Amino acid sequence: MLFSLNTQELMERPDLWEAVHRLRYKIFVEEMGWTDLKRPDGLEIDQFDHDEAVHQLVIRNGELAGYQRMLPTTRAHLLTDVLADLYEGTPPSGPNVWELTRYAVAPGFRDGKRGVSTVGTELIAGFVEWGLKRNVNQVIIEFEPMWVLRALQLHFLATPLGYQRTYGNQQVVATLLTFNDHTLDVVRSRRNHFAPVLAWGYPDMLGMRRAS
Amino acid sequence: MGHFDRTLEFIDQLQHANTPALVCEKLLGITSEFGLTALMAGTVPQPGTPRGQQKDHVLLCEWPVEWLERYVSRNYVDHDPVVSHMKQLQAPFQWREAAQGIRVDKSSGEVMGDAGEFKLRDGLAFPLITLDGQIVMVSLGGEAVELSGAEFGLVSLVSTYAIGRAMQLHTMANKTIDHIELTPRERECMQWAAVGKSEWEISQILGISEHTSEKHLLNAKSKLGAVNRVQAVAEAIRRGYIS
Repeated sequence: MLFSLNTQELMERPDLWEAVHRLRYKIFVEEMGWTDLKRPDGLEIDQFDHDEAVHQLVIRNGELAGYQRMLPTTRAHLLTDVLADLYEGTPPSGPNVWELTRYAVAPGFRDGKRGVSTVGTELIAGFVEWGLKRNVNQVIIEFEPMWVLRALQLHFLATPLGYQRTYGNQQVVATLLTFNDHTLDVVRSRRNHFAPVLAWGYPDMLGMRRAS
Repeated sequence: MGHFDRTLEFIDQLQHANTPALVCEKLLGITSEFGLTALMAGTVPQPGTPRGQQKDHVLLCEWPVEWLERYVSRNYVDHDPVVSHMKQLQAPFQWREAAQGIRVDKSSGEVMGDAGEFKLRDGLAFPLITLDGQIVMVSLGGEAVELSGAEFGLVSLVSTYAIGRAMQLHTMANKTIDHIELTPRERECMQWAAVGKSEWEISQILGISEHTSEKHLLNAKSKLGAVNRVQAVAEAIRRGYIS
């Protein structure tokens, strides 16, 4: 299940809050080598973890398996403030446009050898469901150009926002993905899982596996 | 109009391209400015995929037919430095880098030299990975390829959009026929098409009308699920209908 929490709600659950920032550190600082974000406490936190950010968590077996953060484009976000060389002209913004950042699948849940894991596609199904419920139909993502193909396979309408750039040894292109009910259908049938993934409320305490 | 606006316009046009052939045409329309006039893209079946399911893995194809035939029949894929380079790298690269980077064995040199004969002197290639982990190999080539760093990025990005469009069309039309029967005449016509004979020439060789030879070729093409004659010949060779 995917739980969608704002920063306030996330902070009310210290176990989740810590798991989120620790996973982000593990992936973005240790794996991807984004050394600007290095901190001695092993937690990755930036200026965009503000009160309007939405944190989406995939929980599997009492563990944080996947994460992504949604940022409103009606205030400063990554593309405008940090990655400004990734867009040409004026980047899209408005209540229906959010920016998807920090997409991460925990190492133990990358079941697909090269493909996208089920946690990875749950994150995708999750933001589409979440968006359609609140009249959000576009997300800005800064990702590797490789992802353009996958987005098209899932019937997102994709539009590049600028040229692709090289950061370190990574290629990045800012892309606007537009989606609708049809996209959700395609994502669901690709996953072979048709029930909603978006859950209400809070997950159980981490580490507490449900008796089955 | 700047490069970026042209890219956006191209991507918009792609949404309306309803056949792989149109997608090819649009893409080459952009890339030919940089000397890239030939294109081949397809998924690589994962090891262990049954032969019957290895069908229609060609997504886009606009490649000199004689070169394709020679490539397949001499099993160049095992010696092609571009292919081995692609297997190691995630990022786009230029053919000439592949040829330099690899200790060129005799056969590799032969592949590149032979490609040159077909006006494919240089090009760029890159692998893409689909949702389910399949590798798509994309290769664009031409006689005189001139690309700056930025143009290189542009070409690989627009190619990715084109492949994505081709894959959408592919899923939409995914009613592929498992078992194909070519008639002896269709097979004969394909065999002659594979060595570069025109419809008229085939009609003279087989003693049939030009119209009839055209009809046989069209039937074979549609049975093979190919978008043009080049792909039909490639499919027919790969499936072993002709040699």
